[in-house]
Amino acid sequence: MSKFIQIVSSRRTWAWPYILFMALFVLLPLVLVAVYAFTDIDGHFTLRNFAKFFTHSEAISTFLYSVMIAVFNTAICLLLGYPAAYIMASADYRTPKVMAMLFILPMWINFLLRTVATVELFNMCGLPLGEGALLFGLCYDYLPFMIYPIYNTLQKMDRSFVEAAQDLGANRWKCFWKVIVPLSLPGVYSGIVMVFMPTVSTFAIAELLTHNNIKLFGSLIQDYITTTDLLNYGAVLSLVLLVIIGVTSFFGEHDAKDDQKGGLV
Amino acid sequence: MMTKVIGYRLQVIGLMLLLCISMMAQSNLTYEIRVASDDPVLLLDTFPITYQAEKVNISLYEGKRRCVCEYSTYDSLDVIFARDNTPAIRAWGDSVYSYTDEYEVTWTVWRNSKESKNRTQRVLVQNGRNAFIEYVVVHTQKPSHVVAWMGWILAGLLLIAGIIYAVFVFYRRRAERLLPSAQRETLRRKRVGMRRHIGSQLYLWLLLLVLYAPIALIAVFSFTESKILGNWTGFSFDLYVNLFSGRADAGLNSALVYTVVIALIAAVCSTLLGTLAAIGIFNMRARQRQVVSFLNSVPMINPDIITGISLFLLFVALGFSQGLATVCIAHVVFCTPYVVLSVLPRLSRMNPNTYEAALDLGATPAQALRMVMLPELWPGMLSGFILALTLSVDDFGVTFFTKGSGGLETLSTFIYSDARKGGLTPELRPLFTIILLVMLSVLIFINIKEKKKQK
Repeated sequence: MSKFIQIVSSRRTWAWPYILFMALFVLLPLVLVAVYAFTDIDGHFTLRNFAKFFTHSEAISTFLYSVMIAVFNTAICLLLGYPAAYIMASADYRTPKVMAMLFILPMWINFLLRTVATVELFNMCGLPLGEGALLFGLCYDYLPFMIYPIYNTLQKMDRSFVEAAQDLGANRWKCFWKVIVPLSLPGVYSGIVMVFMPTVSTFAIAELLTHNNIKLFGSLIQDYITTTDLLNYGAVLSLVLLVIIGVTSFFGEHDAKDDQKGGLV
Repeated sequence: MMTKVIGYRLQVIGLMLLLCISMMAQSNLTYEIRVASDDPVLLLDTFPITYQAEKVNISLYEGKRRCVCEYSTYDSLDVIFARDNTPAIRAWGDSVYSYTDEYEVTWTVWRNSKESKNRTQRVLVQNGRNAFIEYVVVHTQKPSHVVAWMGWILAGLLLIAGIIYAVFVFYRRRAERLLPSAQRETLRRKRVGMRRHIGSQLYLWLLLLVLYAPIALIAVFSFTESKILGNWTGFSFDLYVNLFSGRADAGLNSALVYTVVIALIAAVCSTLLGTLAAIGIFNMRARQRQVVSFLNSVPMINPDIITGISLFLLFVALGFSQGLATVCIAHVVFCTPYVVLSVLPRLSRMNPNTYEAALDLGATPAQALRMVMLPELWPGMLSGFILALTLSVDDFGVTFFTKGSGGLETLSTFIYSDARKGGLTPELRPLFTIILLVMLSVLIFINIKEKKKQK
C-alpha cells in the first residue's frame, strides 16, 4: 500500500494514463494507416495499392492539383494577411485588440454554414462557381490563421530595431525589407504551416463551393475510405497526405512551436 | 514634380479600376434548361448537393391531357450531379403509368417567386410504375437586377466623388501656392500621414467586409421564412419561433443536443486527463518530457482528415461499433493536447515545493492535489476547457469519420449532409445568428471590462 502511495505521489506517473491513451488512440491508428496501406482486403501483405497509386493518373493529378491550390491559397492569404497584421501591429494603430477579435469572430460560425452562404453570395452576384470560388472560400476560411501568428510576432517585435535602422539612415522601404520582414519570419512560417496543412487536406469545402465540379485530394480520400472494398487504397492516399504533412511540419517545426492556435480563443 | 504626376495617375487608375469592377458586376447571365438524359442508370453515379431554385414545375402531358404537375424542390425533387458534373434536377413521381409511351413534358423553373423559364420537350417514359425519372440541366446563375443596379449606382457615385475630389485638389493646390515653402512641406507631410492612415483603415475594413458578407447574409435571411437562403419573402420571426418551439426539423434538434452533449463530455474528459498529464509531464526529466511533448503535438499537427481516418481504421480493426462513444473518444484525442498546453504554463508559474510541503504535513496525494494544486491550476484548466468546448463544437472532419452510420449527427455533419441533399434547413440561420450575437456581445463585454481595468 505504501509503495502504491509512493508511486502515485511521485507526480511523474500522473501522465501515464494520458500516454497510454495517446498510444492507443494516436500512435496505433497512425500505424494502422500504414498497415492498411500495405495489405490487401484479406489482410495479406501487398504492394499493389502503391502500384495502383503510381499508375492512377487521376489520383496523382488530383494530388498535384490540391498541392497547387494549397500553395496558391497560402500565397493569397500571406499577401492579404501580412498587410493586415502589419497595420494592426503598427505603433500608432489604436484599436488592435478589437480588430484582432473581429477577424477571429467569424470562426465561431460553423465553417460549412459559412461556405454554403458563400456559395449563395456568389450566386446572388452572378459569379460562376469554379476555381475562383474555391480559392475565395478557402482564403476566407483560413485567413485568420495567417493574420494571427504574424500579428503576434510583429507585436512582440522589439521596436528599437526599427528606430535604430531609421537613425542609421534607412528609408521606409529598406527598413521594412531589411528589419521588419526578417524579424517577422517566424510568424510567417507558422502562418504558412497553419494555412497550408489544412488546405492541402481539405474536403467538404471544395465539394460545396464548386458543386463537386472540382475534386481535391481530401475528397478523393474521403471517397475511397468510405467505400469498403477500396479502404486499403484510401489508406495509401492518406499515407501520401501524411508524408506531405510530416514534411511541412518538419520545416515549420522550430517556428510553430509556441502554440498559436491556443491564442485564438 | 514626378511624384505628383505619379500620385495623380494612381488616383485616376484606381478610379478607372473601380468603375470597371462595378461595370463587370452587370454581365448578363441566362438560364438554360434541357433534358439531359433519359438513362436511369445515371442515377447510381449521382450525388445530391445544394440547389437554389425555389420551385421547379414539371408538367407531363399525355396528348392534351395534363397528367402530373408541380413537384417542389422539397418533396420530390432532388438536385444531383450527373456524371459530366453538370448540376441537374432529378424528379420522380408516384403516378402510375400503365404503359410505356412518349409524353410531352414542360419544365418550369421558378426563382424568386417568378417564373424564369419554361420549355416543352417530348420524352420517353419507360416501364409502368414510378417510371418518370428525368434530368433537367439548370444553369443556376440568375441575372441579378439588384446587383446590376447597385453596380450602376456605385459607378455613378464614384464618378461624382472623383469629380468633386479633383476640383477640391485643384483649388487646394492653388491656395497652397501662396504659402511659404516650409509650411507647404509640413502640410504635405501631414497629408501623406493622413492618407496612409485612411488607406490602412480602409484596407482592414474592406477585408472585414468581405469576411463578414456571407455571415451577414445568414443573419439577414434569418428574418424571413423562405426555405432558401437568398430568397426574401418578407420580414418575419417565424424561423426564430420554430427554433425555440421545437417545430424545426427533428434532425436539427437532435444534432443540437448531440453537439452539446459530445462537447461537454469531451471537454470534461480532456480537461481531467490533460491536467493530470500536464502535472506528470512537468515533473518528468527533460528527455522524457521531450518525447511526451512530441506525442502531445501529433494530434495538433495532424489535419482533421488524418485523425478521423486513422481513428476510423482503428475502430474498424478493433470491431468497435461506431457511435456516440467513438465520437467522444475522438474528440478527447484532439482536445486534450490543447488542455495540456494551457495548463503547463500555470504549473511553471507556481511554487513547486508547496505540493511536497502539503505531503510532508500529512496530506494524502489526493488532498494535496485538491487543496494545493487545483486552486493554482484552475485558470489554466478553465481556458483549456473552453478551448476544448470550442474545438469540439466546431469539428467536422473527425466527427464525420467516427460517427458511424447509426444516424448520429452533430451540427457540422448535419449541415454537411443537409447541404449535399439540397438546401439548408432554414432554422440553422436564426441559430447561428444567435450564436454570432452572443459571441459579439461577449467580446464587447470583455473589451469594456479591460478598458475599465486600464483606467
